[in-house]
Amino acid sequence: MSRLDDTWADKPGWWGFVTTVDHKRIAARYIVTVVAMLFLAGMLALDMRLQLSVANGTRMGPQLYDESFSLHGSTMLFLVSVPVMEAMGIWLVPLMLGARNLAFPRLSAFSYWLYLGGVLMLWIPHALGITPDLGWFEYPPLSGPGYAPGHRVDIWAQMITFTEVAALAASVNVVATILKMRPPGMTLARMPFFLWAMLIASLMTIFALPAVMLVTSMLIADRLVSTQFFTPAGGGDVLLFQHLFWFFGHPEVYIIFVPAVGFVSAIVEAFSRRPLFGHIAMVLSLLSISVLAFGLWVHHMFAVGLPRLGNDFYTAASMAIALPAGMQIFCWIATIWSGRPRFATPMLWVIGFIATFVIGGLSGIMVASAPLDLQLTDTYFVVAHFHYVLVGGAIFPLFGAFCYWYPKATGRLMSERWGIVAFVLIVGGFNLGFFPMHILGLEGMPRRVYTYGPEMGWDGLNLLATLGSAVSVLGGLVLVANALVSYWRGTPAGPDPWGGPTLEWAAPSPPPPYNFEHTPVVTGIAPLWEHDDLPVMTGLNDEAREVLVTSVVDAVPIYRQHSSGPSVWPLISAVAVSAMFVGSIFTAWAVIWGMLPIAIGLILWFWPVRGRATSGPLRTRAR
Amino acid sequence: MRRMVLLACLLPLAACAGRQSPLAPAALQAEWLHWLLMLMFWVCGIVYALVIALLGASIWRGRHRLAAKPEIEPDDRRLSRGLGVWAGMIVVGLTVLILGSFVVERQLADMRAHEALVVRVTGQQWWWRVQYRDPAGGGWIETANELHLPAGRTARIELGSVDVIHSFWVPNVAGKMDVIPGRANAIDVTPHRLGWFRGQCAEFCGAQHAHMAFDVKVDTPAEFTRWLAAQARPAAPPTGAALVVANGACASCHTLRGTAARGRAGPDLTHVGGRRSVAAGTLPMSRGALQGWIAQPQALKPGTLMPAVALSGAQADAVAAYLESLK
Amino acid sequence: MRRVLYVMPAALLLFLAACEKEARVIAADQPQTPPRGAQDPRAAAYENNAYQVSQGGRYFTWYGCGRCHAVGGAGDLTTAGARSDLAHIYATVAHGHTSGSRIPSEQIWQIAAYIRSLPHIDAARAHRQDRDLRGEPQGATWSGALR
Repeated sequence: MSRLDDTWADKPGWWGFVTTVDHKRIAARYIVTVVAMLFLAGMLALDMRLQLSVANGTRMGPQLYDESFSLHGSTMLFLVSVPVMEAMGIWLVPLMLGARNLAFPRLSAFSYWLYLGGVLMLWIPHALGITPDLGWFEYPPLSGPGYAPGHRVDIWAQMITFTEVAALAASVNVVATILKMRPPGMTLARMPFFLWAMLIASLMTIFALPAVMLVTSMLIADRLVSTQFFTPAGGGDVLLFQHLFWFFGHPEVYIIFVPAVGFVSAIVEAFSRRPLFGHIAMVLSLLSISVLAFGLWVHHMFAVGLPRLGNDFYTAASMAIALPAGMQIFCWIATIWSGRPRFATPMLWVIGFIATFVIGGLSGIMVASAPLDLQLTDTYFVVAHFHYVLVGGAIFPLFGAFCYWYPKATGRLMSERWGIVAFVLIVGGFNLGFFPMHILGLEGMPRRVYTYGPEMGWDGLNLLATLGSAVSVLGGLVLVANALVSYWRGTPAGPDPWGGPTLEWAAPSPPPPYNFEHTPVVTGIAPLWEHDDLPVMTGLNDEAREVLVTSVVDAVPIYRQHSSGPSVWPLISAVAVSAMFVGSIFTAWAVIWGMLPIAIGLILWFWPVRGRATSGPLRTRAR
Repeated sequence: MRRMVLLACLLPLAACAGRQSPLAPAALQAEWLHWLLMLMFWVCGIVYALVIALLGASIWRGRHRLAAKPEIEPDDRRLSRGLGVWAGMIVVGLTVLILGSFVVERQLADMRAHEALVVRVTGQQWWWRVQYRDPAGGGWIETANELHLPAGRTARIELGSVDVIHSFWVPNVAGKMDVIPGRANAIDVTPHRLGWFRGQCAEFCGAQHAHMAFDVKVDTPAEFTRWLAAQARPAAPPTGAALVVANGACASCHTLRGTAARGRAGPDLTHVGGRRSVAAGTLPMSRGALQGWIAQPQALKPGTLMPAVALSGAQADAVAAYLESLK
Repeated sequence: MRRVLYVMPAALLLFLAACEKEARVIAADQPQTPPRGAQDPRAAAYENNAYQVSQGGRYFTWYGCGRCHAVGGAGDLTTAGARSDLAHIYATVAHGHTSGSRIPSEQIWQIAAYIRSLPHIDAARAHRQDRDLRGEPQGATWSGALR
């Protein structure tokens, strides 16, 4: 055992912190950063709600309010929702595959450092008073050189570049790991549903994120080097921005939702004590959601005056996506119905998810209709809709996933009682806070207004929304406190406190750096339920870092791959990339000169240090 | 459950739904959208009730069925049939809603009349320029932040923007239409209920997006013709201390037809006293409101492009009185 | 290590200067009086603030200044912006044209700040900003929005 410990150990102290490529440590730092961002963005939201709870509120002027909603939206969408799903994938994918690490260990470190760069890119300027203030999607011409002086827009646009490159890096890693590093016997048919969800979300990321990288670069180019992409007087088109942005923007919300679907399925399965009902239907639904999601983006633009036939098409497509989503709801409920459910905290979050997300999905059907959307978009109705689907559909499953996998990550159980308190406060507070917003939208309250007059009659519901939001923030604090306190004082958990079906429950809690002593061999979809004693494969080297690479469809072992050890080059390359991104806000030459340190960093990163791989037949033996 | 509560709430809401709400339609367009909204509420409400009922039933059913060993190969044939039925129900429900949506879309398109009254509305940070074709002369009669429409006749509102994207939205009358620089959008409205309504910009357009509203009056056709003719008349020229309006700073941005003030950057003030509100729906019209706005625009709309103009006390009083008299 | 300590105050000053440049001055107390000579501290605040400069650019368009003083044209004000200080430019705008006397003081401050900024932006960017403003009212002869 100690040989494997030595081989996979990190360097000690802060040097180890900076050079680690252990996917669990990297995921942990992602999660800690995400929770901090969630807290900060939540505080901004509470601030805005306090401003809006009375008519003609004086807490904030227009500039501060505009900065608040811009920062809240940008943080929640770019710095919390997508990164947290990536982080859960980075942590869970190797564990659920019985693998020792991700396919590209140093790339996962790089993706975190770039994500951190994105966080700093947005929040350090905020601390200095240069907050982007035109929303989380900053349409030109308002964000163009004529109407948005200074660098606030450039800061926002480059923050996006940071987070996208990080997301692309993480997604490529997850796709490669899921397709090529599954344990022997885990054919695609036997692959747990959560891994399908991560695979599909990562593939969607790879296709969607380049669009936003392109559009924000075009905006920076308009502002920095005077191109004319988005100015009608120069032959450009304002709508080009919207099309490119939403081509990314719509798939992005499904990139956030799909991993949450994976969380829910894993929890429902484990706590209903039976495999997920309708596994094939669920996977096909996920695939159709992923494809359809790319064909819906115009529903964010129904009010811009596009031709009617186009609006009709996107109405039909946007409503059609409710079919696979609705089928998934049935499958989960059917699993609970036909199983032997146990209602621990993670299962409570699943119930909260279903009750809340379906409201969001149904209000989504309403805004999917092009003519009706013209009354509902850009009002508090659509604010209610997207919070219901994002909070109900992604955050609630995320909290359930936190509670579910917390014992695996830390070796301790969270308090059930405080878990229930947090659940009630968060779900109850959220619904109390956001349901009135549907009504506010139907009473004519538009979005992104820093105040309103008393004659509009919106004060009562706004006050209620503030109270509900405050309650749910309190619940969030209880959840975080529970997590922190349980870290030191929670009941120790064994490897499998919930009796889960998937491979991560075969590893110790918390898992050692190498995750599994031997690679498990899989013969069905719920390996831990099928065998009391899991069959394993031996043969991976103890004295060098090695992982097993298997074939894409049938997971037949092909070769043993050397896995990278700790390295400082991801950090150095990330610093070089950050320098180039930050510099390119001020001068186009930064793009040229910035390439040099990046090239050096990357060359040193990829410098070959091992001999060519030797190939030969691998033998596995079930024991 | 929540849907039932919402439906129960909606009934009284329709009664108290205000002058800026899609729930109290005053035009054919808004009527169709209201119908679609109701269809959606019913279908979605039933679906939600069904989902919650099924969820509740499965929780209730499972509450005593705890077991130690998980069921690895359950018999799912009945449930698979259930999935098929559920999928069929979703398809039917979506088809109803999609068809409903198409029907409304077609109705809205069919309402485009050829003999529409043409109104040109231009959005600018942070107010609305409103222009009517002069039936007599063929030029444009200009006003600002207030739209009058004759009941029973279709008005084609041609939308344009001077600077950034805004959105023209009068919920009681029709859905919104974005006002996009470089793009000529238009919206047709056919109001039929008389009264005052309120519209507001519905696309974030900068610091004072929250205060970019406008009033809409639906008149009888006779009243509308009278109003338009009155708008076409020039203003009485200012006298005494109020002369600064025509000769001073005001004239560099504002037009008062009948005086020397010919500025184009700000709202037309020829009949400002007859409007319902000041500063794009920010304050109700009164002499005090006008005076306060002129004296300290940044206090009312921080970030506004209207500058504070240094007037003496007598001038300020005279200007406010003069403007209020321009009905 | 010592070099880092030397660099940090400079970096801090750069940051603070950057903040000043980026501040959005949306307040009720805009100046209503002309600059009190070349050393008026308000001049520096206006010249160094991107928001005031861009507001000035918009009013430059609104008052039709671009008709004679377009960047790159015969009345190009870039050299004037470099040569004169803000107080001088203020006086020229307020008293040098008949129409200038009707422009309110706070707007002349911003227009003067804009003219002072012209030497610091290249012609391409000035033209690009003008294109964004092409739909804005352009003096008394403006006929309507860009459709």
